[in-house]
Amino acid sequence: MASIVNITEKLGSQAAAKAFTLTSAVWFAFATSFGMIAAGYLIAPDFMANIEFIQFGRSRPIHVNLVLFGFVTPGLLAAALYYAPRLLRTHLYSQRLGVVTAILWNLTLVIGVISLGMGYSQGREYAELPWAVDLMIAGLFGLVIFNLFMTVHRRQEPILYVSIWYACAAVVLTAVGYCLGNVIWKPDSGALLGIPDAILLWFYGHNIFGLLLTPLALGVAYYVLPLATRSPLYSHTLSLIGFWSLIVVYTHVGTHHLLQVPVPTWLKAISIVDSVGMVIPVMVFLINIWFTVKGKLGDIHADIGAKFVFTGTIMYFFANIQGSFMALPQVQRVTHFNNWVVGHAHLGVFAFAGITALGGLYFILPKITKKPLYSRYLADLQYWLILIGVSVMIIDLTIVGLLQGNAWLNGETVYRVLPEIHLYYVIRASAGLFILSGAYLGLYNIVRTLFFNPGAATE
Amino acid sequence: MYYPYFISYMLAGLVIALLVFAWAMKNDQFRDQQRARFLPLFDAPQRKSARASRVSRIEVYTLFGLACVGLCSSFAVVIFALLRVE
Ligand code: HEM
Ligand code: HEM
Repeated sequence: MASIVNITEKLGSQAAAKAFTLTSAVWFAFATSFGMIAAGYLIAPDFMANIEFIQFGRSRPIHVNLVLFGFVTPGLLAAALYYAPRLLRTHLYSQRLGVVTAILWNLTLVIGVISLGMGYSQGREYAELPWAVDLMIAGLFGLVIFNLFMTVHRRQEPILYVSIWYACAAVVLTAVGYCLGNVIWKPDSGALLGIPDAILLWFYGHNIFGLLLTPLALGVAYYVLPLATRSPLYSHTLSLIGFWSLIVVYTHVGTHHLLQVPVPTWLKAISIVDSVGMVIPVMVFLINIWFTVKGKLGDIHADIGAKFVFTGTIMYFFANIQGSFMALPQVQRVTHFNNWVVGHAHLGVFAFAGITALGGLYFILPKITKKPLYSRYLADLQYWLILIGVSVMIIDLTIVGLLQGNAWLNGETVYRVLPEIHLYYVIRASAGLFILSGAYLGLYNIVRTLFFNPGAATE
Repeated sequence: MYYPYFISYMLAGLVIALLVFAWAMKNDQFRDQQRARFLPLFDAPQRKSARASRVSRIEVYTLFGLACVGLCSSFAVVIFALLRVE
């Protein structure tokens, strides 16, 4: 206990946000390292053949769980823990609780990586983590909910700004959805039986992107972009319409992952209609935020955080347009079960949510440390490394997806297609190197800014 | 039979969402929307706004180019898929 008081004091006034910032930066580096290992196996299956801990079937879920729960979520939460008290004109309910949450968060991730590496996986995508880790994650979200809601409860500002709505909804819906999707009441298998399990899993799986990453990222964008351009939000009413329509529409799309599976047709129809309907909340958000920053691109360029976040909004546009098409059964006959979807996943989770998270971190860092960023140059370099890396990766994976989808429709055998796409796997790994170096540069920059920053205090 | 569970979960979700919405109505969360637009700007330091530089324009064009590539590939695949429908 005493040591936690100590750590909190050492971290200063914004201890919780700082702790989550560091968490995100560290796991970004680890997560991309595991991504590189996985990409290596796809190029050469006997790459590091005898190391069980990191063989493809283990490094892939480690990569995916780390980017979701280690990098993007803590990054977006760091920004939320900073902006929530400001928008509510109060203090965070407990900085100490925030730091405890961050420490436990890291502990959970370490245990998660070790168990996946040792082969303790429940084998359901996005729900691989074993039961004990599931419980810990649910508990962590509980702690965040408590801190956030107590802050809301003590607010001086009666109106909840749209970012607050998004942040609160994200953590509550995820806490509940996580327990359900991981079938937490069945510790041994963590699964139902048969088709209902697939339906439940993808209801949960899509909610990780739609009701955790997306709302948290939109909350950050709605805070950072008006502030960086010093313009009021174009329309707060519109933003609330966007919020409620997102809650209504996004909860129904899970089955679009199962269009090639014998699930009830009415469920597929709902998921397709709502996937196309996602255009409404997305366009509401984009129109609102782009009108807010209209004519202020200079300000966005001047603030590295805003630059990342603005880029994230553009990527959100693509993820949505692409996603809505991918939910059409005719299109999905080509794009399903191949690298097209992996391309979309990197577009959504990384280019949209991840880049927005980085933007949130760079935006709050000077404010929580009360010093300028250690190096704006490094941050710019990271921006370009990541942007080039992820764009090349997405385009590359999209091409591979088309090759594979076409071959599948033509009934070509897999062993003939694999040599054809080998080159693209090499290109994907090279693009990954850009992202990997971006991640480590960012880690260095953030650690320097937090702990060893020679810059003069700004306030 | 999982349907009763699924349906009761959906109903619970619906009811909670409606309750939150009713709370928001009652607490005037949808009033005073003009002031709400300015909430992030509270205590924002006044700075002169930055002028767009040449570099930033190049960046915008690059992003716009990426946007076009992305859109084109999406449309290409739709057309491709539709052509393949026998
Ligand atoms: C907003 C509208 C969106 C729609 C309509 C949409 C639609 C889809 C569809 C139909 C699939 C399944 C493709 C298949 O298996 O054939 C999919 C997969 C996926 N989407 Fe989206 N998407 C959207 C946005 C996003 C966003 C914003 C993210 C990330 C934050 C995201 C992350 C993912 C991921 C990670 C997968 C891969 C799932 C897997 O492992 O199979 N999507 N999306
Ligand atoms: C060094 C950079 C990266 C490399 C080399 C890389 C590589 C990979 C590989 C090899 C897979 C498995 C694909 C398969 O099974 O065919 C994968 C999946 C995935 N990666 Fe990455 N990745 C990188 C960065 C990231 C980042 C930064 C994020 C998110 C912030 C991310 C999110 C994901 C997701 C969500 C999946 C699951 C996709 C699906 O199931 O459809 N990756 N990645």
